Amino acid sequence: MSSLTEFLLNKRWASLVGAIVVALISNGLGAQDELLEANDSALYRGEQLLLNGSYAAASEMFQMADGLDRVDGLIGASKAYLMMGNFQDAQRVVEDAIDDEYADSPLLSTQLAEVKRGLGLSQEALQILEAVVSGMGDAPVRTLVQYGSLLKFVGEKEAAFQILNQAVQRYNDGLVFSSEDVTMVALASWLLGNFHDANSLFNEATRANPNNLEAHTLWADLFLEKYNASDAERGYQDALDINSRYVPALVGIARVVGDERSLQRALAINPNSVAALETYGQLLMMNGREDEAQAYFQQVLALNPESLRTLSILAAQAALNKKDAEYQDYLARVDAFSPNNAEFLGHIADSFGNNYLFTEAVEFARASIEADPEYWQGYTLLGSNLIRLGEEEEGKANLEIGFDNDPFNVMTSNMLKVFDTLETYATLESEHFKVHMSERDADILWPYLEPLLEESWETLTAKYGFEPEGPVLIEVFENSEDFAVRSVGLPDIGPLVGICFGKVITLISPDTLTANWQEIVWHEFMHVITLQMTGNRMPRWLSEGISVWEEREGRPYWGRSQGLDLVRAAAEDKLLPVASLNSGFSGARNNADLSFAYFQSYLVVDYIAREFGFPKLVELIYQYAEIKEDSERFSEVFDMSVNEFDAGFRNWITQRVNQINVYAHTEDVPDEGEGHGHGIRENSSAILAELYNNASLKQHMRSRIEENDRDFQAYLQLGIVLFKEEAFEEAKVHLEIAHEMLPSYTGYPSPALVLSQIYEREGNRAMQLQWLETLMESLQHDYGSAIILAEAALAAEDYERAAYYIDRAIQVDPYRQDVHELKARYALAVDDSQLAVTEFEVLMKLEISDPVEARTNLAEAYLKNGQVSEAKQNILYALEQAPSFLRAQQLLLESVERESAQ
Amino acid sequence: MFRLLTRKLYVFCTGLVLAAGSQFLQAQGQTQDNELNYFLDSPDTSKYAVIMVGPAVGEVNAGRFRQWGLSLHDILTRDYGYSSDTITLLYNDGDDSFVGGERVDGATDREGIVQALSELRGRVETGDQITLYLIGHGSGAEEEAKFNIVGPDLTGIEFAEMLDQFDRQDMVIVNTTSASFGFSAALSSEGRVVISSTRSPSERYDPIFSGYFIEALDQRNGDRDKNNRVSMLEAFEYARANVEQWYSEQGRLAPEHAGLDDNGDSLFTLAPGVDQADGLLAEIAYIDTLVDDTAGLSPQALELKARMQELERSVFILRGRKAEYLEADYWQQMEQLLVELARTTGQFNEQLN
Repeated sequence: MSSLTEFLLNKRWASLVGAIVVALISNGLGAQDELLEANDSALYRGEQLLLNGSYAAASEMFQMADGLDRVDGLIGASKAYLMMGNFQDAQRVVEDAIDDEYADSPLLSTQLAEVKRGLGLSQEALQILEAVVSGMGDAPVRTLVQYGSLLKFVGEKEAAFQILNQAVQRYNDGLVFSSEDVTMVALASWLLGNFHDANSLFNEATRANPNNLEAHTLWADLFLEKYNASDAERGYQDALDINSRYVPALVGIARVVGDERSLQRALAINPNSVAALETYGQLLMMNGREDEAQAYFQQVLALNPESLRTLSILAAQAALNKKDAEYQDYLARVDAFSPNNAEFLGHIADSFGNNYLFTEAVEFARASIEADPEYWQGYTLLGSNLIRLGEEEEGKANLEIGFDNDPFNVMTSNMLKVFDTLETYATLESEHFKVHMSERDADILWPYLEPLLEESWETLTAKYGFEPEGPVLIEVFENSEDFAVRSVGLPDIGPLVGICFGKVITLISPDTLTANWQEIVWHEFMHVITLQMTGNRMPRWLSEGISVWEEREGRPYWGRSQGLDLVRAAAEDKLLPVASLNSGFSGARNNADLSFAYFQSYLVVDYIAREFGFPKLVELIYQYAEIKEDSERFSEVFDMSVNEFDAGFRNWITQRVNQINVYAHTEDVPDEGEGHGHGIRENSSAILAELYNNASLKQHMRSRIEENDRDFQAYLQLGIVLFKEEAFEEAKVHLEIAHEMLPSYTGYPSPALVLSQIYEREGNRAMQLQWLETLMESLQHDYGSAIILAEAALAAEDYERAAYYIDRAIQVDPYRQDVHELKARYALAVDDSQLAVTEFEVLMKLEISDPVEARTNLAEAYLKNGQVSEAKQNILYALEQAPSFLRAQQLLLESVERESAQ
Repeated sequence: MFRLLTRKLYVFCTGLVLAAGSQFLQAQGQTQDNELNYFLDSPDTSKYAVIMVGPAVGEVNAGRFRQWGLSLHDILTRDYGYSSDTITLLYNDGDDSFVGGERVDGATDREGIVQALSELRGRVETGDQITLYLIGHGSGAEEEAKFNIVGPDLTGIEFAEMLDQFDRQDMVIVNTTSASFGFSAALSSEGRVVISSTRSPSERYDPIFSGYFIEALDQRNGDRDKNNRVSMLEAFEYARANVEQWYSEQGRLAPEHAGLDDNGDSLFTLAPGVDQADGLLAEIAYIDTLVDDTAGLSPQALELKARMQELERSVFILRGRKAEYLEADYWQQMEQLLVELARTTGQFNEQLN
């Protein structure tokens, strides 16, 4: 236990006693509040105004403080000016009051130094603080910590640690009392890397003074640095509950949840808030609005040329775009005030990682560690990026270093926990792939995953004339939190089900999905090709567009059929310009938006392939391997500007919408589904029609049809209501019209599905199956329909069709017994003993109710396949549990005889 | 530790008494562990079932509980040799005005239960087996845990007192109600098999366990060892595994975990078995009565049958001592026994033909 920790334990009692005393005094004083109000000092009133966010009034009031309150009043006024971004007056009020020597006015001088640091004048600030510290015996705690912090910032780490330790020692000696000073000791501990102590001290500071906004916010900053978003958000919110105009907390909230309104509010209060401007710029950049972002960053540097974060963002942009001179310029600017700054390099590593350039991220992370071997975040950055390159061992080793020294970092600990999961996983290999998956998936999924992977390799590498670097590592996670952590370091990843990093793919196990997992695998492998073709420099829209487009090329029933959404988007003019398609992903507000971003990206790729030819698509991909403007790329490939390309695309879309020729009523909402657009998309209007069928709905739909006879949804909903009323003939008419109008519609429920149900109710098996077949021509996510069709085909001894629909069912859910029982029956029927063995092996793994029967079936399959030894061992397992089981006994005798004959 | 030593000792004893060739050892050779002679599986004993279906909240539950009660009645009659004389069905308030209502024998109220048990007491002989199935809602916790019946609800302690009169019969209680744990725990007693659909007082939702337990009995689905009979352990295992899978498929955390107690310590085991704290009695507590199928057999067939039984016992004994063998030796010996058993069974069947 550190000495500080010991002291903290002792201090808990003191704090408790103190709190009781304060509470008693407060209660006593409470009754006199009103009497005192009129006589409150200017300092007290200023503090109240500051706490309430009335910064202008506070700055005035503080300056009215006199006598013993004068110094505190001037510092308060300076802080109030700072809250409004008025650096000039913030500096003036304290500077004018400082006597000849800084050491004679330590608190005013410290405030002045803080203002100067905020203006990027670190050297001037250092001189002031140094003068205070060297000029007096016991400099104030705040002075020590601000001095230490600044020394660390400018790279004088040893001196910084010496000063910061003085502040901590002051606390250990029992000489720090006020909440404000405890906050400073907490900050000192943080800067010294003692995160546990810092956490305890921030806790103490906020308990001693719940209105200490600086403590709440710095504590939240600590959490945020450690990727603990929920605690960070709570801390910022605590501060905002006290003062809703407290700019550092407004910025903090925006950094946690990406809330643009918080930033706008912050900038309305303090238009010169460097943190708010910086964060706004980052938000804009994430949304692809780089030009606007640049304006914010320039504003930041004008205010504070030493803003490390902004300089590192700009340097990263330069490095990403291979503008070496520009990068060197930023590096030199940082070196001028903070030589060899590890954090700067770490930020750049992070930017490269976020842009999928993992090799470069690793280089910068290594450089950051070299600059400061105690920069623990550097190890986390290095480890996480190595993992994305498939370098698991070295990645884990670096994460462990990070964790050992900074166990509070949630990202580090999460990623290490995933390694614990991976240790329980099996590793399987095919010619071009290495796959980590659970034992269950290894048993059940792998027999179907392996051939699919190799098929995707063979098909897509031949088509694109490009062989990616292999083996490609695939990690299939049973737990969605593990998947999320492995992918982005944090446990919440939204609706994503698979992510490709170029050489590594992470997937959620199909066991936790209701979607066509084969389509997802195919989609992700296509990313491997496009990412590696461009050195991971593909824009997201094009990479996703191609992957979705290749789904349809992989199987005719894969891909997205969102004709109705397209009509709606065109009618509402929601199609994004090609140049800003990326913002459709980064700015998506819900699953429907995200799903449409995929769909529109696919449409652009389809447009290119149809109108310009597939080779032009390949040419465009390679354009992204080079760093240049989009205008140049489009000009080289299509001989036109991006705007001209966009205009052509829009004309093509108009034609497509005209061909679809349906009307999308504004009262219907777009279909929505889980799983990143993979999976069944629900038509909520039609579902409601199914649940609440009534006369008024029927009448309303009829009137909609009268208004517009191409209203697809009206026909569908009317058909559903009539079906529920068992008016089958009339329902069929409307549903058939809806189907003819939009035959590829695959939302749930679709006209084809409802029609199949009507025929089922009528006992017309042939028509039921016919409509199910129609449904399955476009819908890839329907397990139940595939099973019905497979059973029918098997009963009719149409083995080719049976195999086809069994495969369709396995594409959705390979974990259910009925599909494997069907496939085993099929295998026996077509005398495919090897396939029968595979299926009975899977059934053995899936069986929970009758393992003896499953074991016996497997043994019989082995026997038929000539695997006598396996057959005998399995039958012994079965008979061990059920010795009197006659069928197993007979199989045992047969296997023993055949073994003897061998 | 004590339990383990005891068990090993019994295995040894079983080896000594093998020569006696008791036909009652058919149920997996564990009877030697059954010092007090519970659940002695004899063709001479009778088996009775009392199905109590409590009142339900809501139409859906009412329909489900009724269906479970009737299905159970029909399955016991159809597949296990029970008759309306050996099954007592108490249903809600005794109303029988529904399709299948003719099976109802009385109301699930205090009076109906007391009367049914009293009548049963007059009919049962020493060594008979009584299985009580409780279907419906439960409430409360610990000693206050109750089976919701018509009128004042019944606590586990009260019900246990009602069952005290059956001290010379084997008893199985299958409590499938919600919040069943406290009630079930009060019924625990030496020589009694108690199955509870929940394992803790915090599990208060209506369990789905009952449906799967009945499914296990239906057409002997739960018959894991293929001896054409279903033991309570097998039915429990079947239901437990399917409940687990159901919640897993739904992507939900299971709010119910069934447990079984058959050593009288009121501690319910979630995965009982012959090598666990609970499971030994449940394994030999069969739903049906052993049928004496030796009548009319030739002396040679009788001899073959005795040999089959002896070999089966040897298999069970060897299996029980698996940990003491090297893997290869174990399977070599097992194979020898099983091959001989298969051949003997073949010869026996030829004799029958």
